[in-house]
Amino acid sequence: MHQERSQKNQSTKPFKQRKNLQTRKEEVAGIRAKFPTKIPVIVERYQREKSLPLLDKTKFLVPRDLSMTQFVTIIRSRLALNATQAFYLLVNNKSLASMSLTLAELYKDDQDEDGFLYMTYASQEMFGSNLRSKEEKPVEYVLKVQNPLWHCCS
Amino acid sequence: MPMGLCLPFPLLWDMKEAVRACLAGRLGCGCLLFLSQCVSTLTYDTLRFAELEDFPETSEPVWILGKNYNALTEKEEILSDVTSRLWFTYRKNFPAIGGTGPTSDTGWGCMLRCGQMIFAQALVCRHLGRDWRWEKEKRQKDDYFSVLNAFIDKKDSYYSIHQIAQMGVGEGKLIGQWYGPNTVAQVLRKLAAFDSWSSLAVHVAMDNTVVIDEIKRLCKPSVACTGAAAFPSTDMELLHNGFPPEARMMDKLSLWKPLILLIPLRLGLSEINEAYIETLKQCFMLPQSLGVIGGKPNSAHYFIGYVGEELIYLDPHTTQPAVEPSNSCFIPDESFHCQHPPCRMRISDLDPSIAVGFFCNTEGDFEEWCQHMRKLSLIREALPMFELMDHQTSHFCNPDVLNLTPDSSDADRLERFFDSEDEEFEILSL
Repeated sequence: MHQERSQKNQSTKPFKQRKNLQTRKEEVAGIRAKFPTKIPVIVERYQREKSLPLLDKTKFLVPRDLSMTQFVTIIRSRLALNATQAFYLLVNNKSLASMSLTLAELYKDDQDEDGFLYMTYASQEMFGSNLRSKEEKPVEYVLKVQNPLWHCCS
Repeated sequence: MPMGLCLPFPLLWDMKEAVRACLAGRLGCGCLLFLSQCVSTLTYDTLRFAELEDFPETSEPVWILGKNYNALTEKEEILSDVTSRLWFTYRKNFPAIGGTGPTSDTGWGCMLRCGQMIFAQALVCRHLGRDWRWEKEKRQKDDYFSVLNAFIDKKDSYYSIHQIAQMGVGEGKLIGQWYGPNTVAQVLRKLAAFDSWSSLAVHVAMDNTVVIDEIKRLCKPSVACTGAAAFPSTDMELLHNGFPPEARMMDKLSLWKPLILLIPLRLGLSEINEAYIETLKQCFMLPQSLGVIGGKPNSAHYFIGYVGEELIYLDPHTTQPAVEPSNSCFIPDESFHCQHPPCRMRISDLDPSIAVGFFCNTEGDFEEWCQHMRKLSLIREALPMFELMDHQTSHFCNPDVLNLTPDSSDADRLERFFDSEDEEFEILSL
């Protein structure tokens, strides 16, 4: 079930590109009418993220007084990350959210014109180069240990 | 990348190596000229001609690891400061990692080398001081060789590439896999526990948040053990009751384990958010600065300062033969110091994934650092890269806030609301 939904999400475009502004505005108005004390938040994985898993949901209704620390703790536990794994939530694809702010405070300054608050999560980039010296072949070494199938096929 | 357009890949690599050989003086200058004509379509930066460029003549202040220089009048001092940093590069022909693994880190070890450089800078500050200078062919202190020995490419050095690569397995990295700034920070934190000589407290601040309480608990283990972390001042008074103030002061200092604070960050998605650039510059101006590890896409660098809109860095992307020390009191050390003018790059080209480092030898240093950071957060043009908090305010620490029982899991707090559309909202409740 989880996997199916993940795969569906993976193939789809970012939320903003899936629905036009008017539809999104109406959606916010509808949900705000039903849940006036909650903040509508969109949380999506960075398109080029390679190590963090996908969330099974992108749309959240979050209590106004929840702090970012608490929100991050919830998302981290959904993704089953351990405490030392890098995880960053970037608001509007730009800036790191201050952890002491409440969702209401963040919403006040950073909500989108459609009424949603957008956050993108990402870990960190890895650094290395594909250019390797010829006399040594760490490429093969890496493949060998990285992919257990390699042993089966050989 | 423009370089890929005109030359087949292996030829290009040979060219690059040849140019490096020229730079290292192994081939004649005529050869360099010939090469530069051959490869005139390649970018300057790709071929690292930037290395040949002298330091800029500019009236803009130069900042290197908390020191301010004038590029017009203090060129020698700048180069001496840069050369004194320990420079770790790719090496080849070292003892195989894990006995049967790689004998070179070319192509994969750049972030591990940058981690070594930022940590070595901390060890230099710890054992030799920020003002210590290396001089070519001058006999150095034993402590210097002890620092260098901690990074030599062999299995039993505290922070060797062998130790880092093998400890990385616990962080989910196989030997030879690429690291990010956080990966190497986490690994070095674990390795530092075995370095009883330096007796460091290493804190890696997660979620772009530095919690002061956590750091104090880490650096003052004696206070934490007595369970008096919440009342350190009272505890101190009891401990030192009856001693003269000087002795009390001395003891207070010795209770603090020298702190390496590493803060892994992501300052944007595909490129750095320009609002952070001013704050990043400020980090190099603090006396506690250890610099920044990060890079350009795929290439890790150790950033030690800035001038104008450019970062100054040490680059690990040169493969040198491994050095075999005959004994720990003398190591042929010239290849561990970058003796050409340092590389520079535009700050806006920085990959957003970095880790910022600071070293606080004493509790006073740490308090001063906290004050600096608080002042910095008030500068309007500078968007804070991380937040300073007195205490951790996680809901696990404050169950009252969320009105939770301590054993409730996230799943219990969750109700699901299905709307009529294709996607459902998930409702988080207090």
